[in-house]
Amino acid sequence: MNFFNEYDVIVVGAGHAGCEAAHAASAMGLETCLITIHLESIAQMSCNPAIGGLAKGHLVREIDALGGLMGLLADETGIQFRLLNRSRGGAVQAPRAQSDKAVYRLTMKNWLENLPKLTLFQAIVTGILIKNGRAYGVMTLEGNRLLAKSVIITPGTFLNGLIHIGLKSYSAGRANEPASQELSEYLKKLGLKIFRLKTGTPMRLHKDTIDWSRFKAQPGDENPVPFSFRTKKDLENKIVCHIGHTNSKTHEIINKSLDKSPLFSGKIRGVGIRYCPSIEDKVVKFPHHKRHQFFLEPEGLDTAEIYVNGISSSLPLEVQRDILKSIPGLDEAKILRPAYGIEYDAVIPTQLQPTLETRSIKNLYLAGQVNGTSGYEEAAAQGLMAGINAALKIKKREPFILRRDEAYIAVLIDDLISKGVEEPYRLFTSRAEYRLFLRIDNADKRLIKYGYKFGLIKEKDYEAYLRKLERTNRVMHFLIKEKIRTEDKDTISLKDFLKKPEVRFKNVLEYKKPELSLSDEEVRYIESEVKYEGYLKKQAKEIARIIKIDKEKIPENIEFKKISGLTREVIEKLEKYSPKTIGEAKKIPSITPAAIVNLHIYINLKKKKNQSIKMFHVKH
Amino acid sequence: MVEDTIIAISTPIGYSGLGVVRLSGKRSLHIAKKIFKPNKDKGKIPTRSPVLGNLYDFEHKEFFEEAYLTFFPEPNTYTREDIVEISCHGSPVILEEVVRLGVKSGARHANPGEFTLRAYLNGRIDIIQAEAINDIIKASSLKQAKISFKQLDGILSKKILSLRNQIVHLLSQIEASIEFPDERLRISRNKIVKTMKNISHTVKRLIESYDLGKTLTEGLILAIIGRANVGKSTLFNSLLKKDRAIVTPYPGTTRDYLREKMKTKDSIFTLIDMAGIENAVHPVEKEGIRRGKKLAYEADGILLLLDASQKESHEDYKLIEKFRNKKTILLFNKNDLPQKMNIEKIRKIERNFPSLKISALKGTNLGKLKVMIHELFVPAQEQDEGIILHLRQKLLLEDILACLVEGKHLIGEGYPEEICAEEIRKTIPLIGQLTGDIRVDEIIENIFSRFCIGK
Repeated sequence: MNFFNEYDVIVVGAGHAGCEAAHAASAMGLETCLITIHLESIAQMSCNPAIGGLAKGHLVREIDALGGLMGLLADETGIQFRLLNRSRGGAVQAPRAQSDKAVYRLTMKNWLENLPKLTLFQAIVTGILIKNGRAYGVMTLEGNRLLAKSVIITPGTFLNGLIHIGLKSYSAGRANEPASQELSEYLKKLGLKIFRLKTGTPMRLHKDTIDWSRFKAQPGDENPVPFSFRTKKDLENKIVCHIGHTNSKTHEIINKSLDKSPLFSGKIRGVGIRYCPSIEDKVVKFPHHKRHQFFLEPEGLDTAEIYVNGISSSLPLEVQRDILKSIPGLDEAKILRPAYGIEYDAVIPTQLQPTLETRSIKNLYLAGQVNGTSGYEEAAAQGLMAGINAALKIKKREPFILRRDEAYIAVLIDDLISKGVEEPYRLFTSRAEYRLFLRIDNADKRLIKYGYKFGLIKEKDYEAYLRKLERTNRVMHFLIKEKIRTEDKDTISLKDFLKKPEVRFKNVLEYKKPELSLSDEEVRYIESEVKYEGYLKKQAKEIARIIKIDKEKIPENIEFKKISGLTREVIEKLEKYSPKTIGEAKKIPSITPAAIVNLHIYINLKKKKNQSIKMFHVKH
Repeated sequence: MVEDTIIAISTPIGYSGLGVVRLSGKRSLHIAKKIFKPNKDKGKIPTRSPVLGNLYDFEHKEFFEEAYLTFFPEPNTYTREDIVEISCHGSPVILEEVVRLGVKSGARHANPGEFTLRAYLNGRIDIIQAEAINDIIKASSLKQAKISFKQLDGILSKKILSLRNQIVHLLSQIEASIEFPDERLRISRNKIVKTMKNISHTVKRLIESYDLGKTLTEGLILAIIGRANVGKSTLFNSLLKKDRAIVTPYPGTTRDYLREKMKTKDSIFTLIDMAGIENAVHPVEKEGIRRGKKLAYEADGILLLLDASQKESHEDYKLIEKFRNKKTILLFNKNDLPQKMNIEKIRKIERNFPSLKISALKGTNLGKLKVMIHELFVPAQEQDEGIILHLRQKLLLEDILACLVEGKHLIGEGYPEEICAEEIRKTIPLIGQLTGDIRVDEIIENIFSRFCIGK
């Protein structure tokens, strides 16, 4: 027996998912070990130097309300801040920040190093220890065994990672970092179904070789909005980004070089991401577009590297150079790191439970890109949920499963485990059925109670939230009570006045002022609640109805095979999991909505029959 | 697939030359073989071709009827399950005995509409197609059957699918501009309003087609109007080819109104005979006239009957004036008698109304009248774009239209795109309910419990 150590939770991989998982588990009081291939790349942003955006910014807010780290760190290390969609309503506004990558990494490492219950450890994990269908530890390349009650695997793109530049390819998890080959094989051996995905990253350029005068500057907001409810300091914009465009010459170069593209020559077989396509993808799929937009984003304050957001590619280096030469302002630009495509293994996520524990192996959790998602925020959200659930299970407490009407985190996880993925999954606000509910301005109202309950939100932060709630309630009451006469000589409440599309809270203040003044954050909340009121009320009813149906009991003696129209597969699944309620049945993977309807009809018919109401009369 | 096998008589109950019992499910053939013994015992039962044999009562160990058995193996069948059809003489006693023996052998009585329910659940047809099957069975006119057949073929489903595609396309444009604010994908408010207007127009037309659809299922209402004793009831009887209304030479014989269905070519009409419109003495008569007038105004068309053997009167002109805005055919009755009416003068005054000289009593020109009715009231060409025949479909389309109208209003008033998107998003599950893509229990129960047994 080699080096031996025992933990409650082991997290394999210290990317955005792993860091949140390790932080949550240890902050919930469990002895946790976070294992990474390379300690220097903890919380590395492998791709763009930014956090947030639509849906992603929402996720970060939710992570923050649950006591996760990403929001705090993004505020701490951000160098430019914008609130997107300011011209639209509160539900589709989200923060986005440029981060200083190196500082983000170091800050996270520092934070984790100082957590009393967390141990960082550098090693390559090659296998998971399993006995009687339960994971109880991991094995490292050196042959060391580390034991734990739960194992959370968050390997990102490292499982069998294969980097492509032109027709050359080599094994790596990220440029110049070793891929994890054994682990992928090991997961396959455990019976988990694996599939292959593809993503890519653009080139990084030296800032002094760019003619900045050729690009339009995109500054940050005048009043930056933080990600975290807990951030107190004023945020400061320290850089500007720039916007540029490709041109017909660029597209000509790309079209001529497609034979050298691993994507189009058939070398890459993994499924690529539609939402973040490579430049060659864009040119081929949208031939009528004369130009494509790109952004020049600094990777940090102390580095010359500029990230070319929008020109991800796996074309050979010489073509990448030609592409740059065709763009005025980048014609002299020096490439510090080439763009590349990467193929990697992911686990088909329908094999997971809503807690992110695998269905087949107890105490084994998977989170992040390995579940087929893309994006730091999607990874972090899953890591947090896996960490919380692993901890809760060890503490023998109820699992933490959010509903789709409660959080984007739930939309994300529910989509993964019930629908599966065919391409890298990115969250969108339009994936949520109740988008007007899931806002950045009420993420705390939706979720902070859970974070507080789990001990991830501190007493003082929870109290600050309660005060905010009290203040907004008082102002809401004021808006309902106070009446004004409008230009049309109608007497209406301030609330109804605020409902008008062109009226903002500041216009209300021109008429009457409440005794307390609200923060921008609180104003956003009030505006959303008032402007969406009709919809929120209607949808709340609908949600209540769905929750009621979900709670409907499935009789214990039910014979699923008697239900009309169920496929053999569905019947087997139902028999295997024997769900107690409709809601539970819904969560079983590959159970279709149609199957649920048939099940529901059957149960209700049975009920009616029992009440001796004759539904069908049979002719003879 | 379902485990159990269902059985039912698929032909109407009653004595007829031929009757069919049908089984659907995994054990169909197995069960059928217990009841049916082929004449050529050797060899397997072929698929999709009838085999002659005898029905066998295994309880009394005796044959009781000659029959054909046809085996249709899954999945290319109506229910996508194995189906067996046993055809024999259409005696209820025999057919019920076959079903009884089938049940004894392990089949289950099919619930009303269960064959179609299975076809739907097994994904062979969508809800609109299922409704169409019901409509074909119950069609009261050839025209309706033809429309229903087209819907079974998916014409309406396709129309609605194209509607769905338009909505999804618009929604994805709006969503894209929301999700990628930095990408300059913004779709202008005007463009949204314009697109929504177009989509609303399509929905409106579909909703309007319900009225046309209704005329083809329930029949257009035609009221026979005229002064007392011009021969309304005679015309009513002649058109129906039966003595339905009591006819006497005395004015005011018809006190209440009568309604009957009349078929012309491939369409159906409801014909209404009522009391002469101007004479009212008796209270019962008065009430009859009141109701009749109301009906006349609500009718889809008027057959305005004038007595050509009398000189035209002030009353006649008043009547013509009264129904000026309705689809009306002017009928100059009693052309078997000496003609006193100045027909050409009336025709000149009322150019818009088609007119015809007839004799209700002798049946002169009634064939021509039916052709005229057909030309005037039945739309010249079939609407290939889909006609809705069901109130359920109409109500859903009205809900969809309401969302579109509200969304258009909101975006026009300057509310943000995500609120407009909320309205558009609501239409998608509604469209799903139309075709059954997103299934709602009540709808399915409702639709399938309306089916009569068999198909």
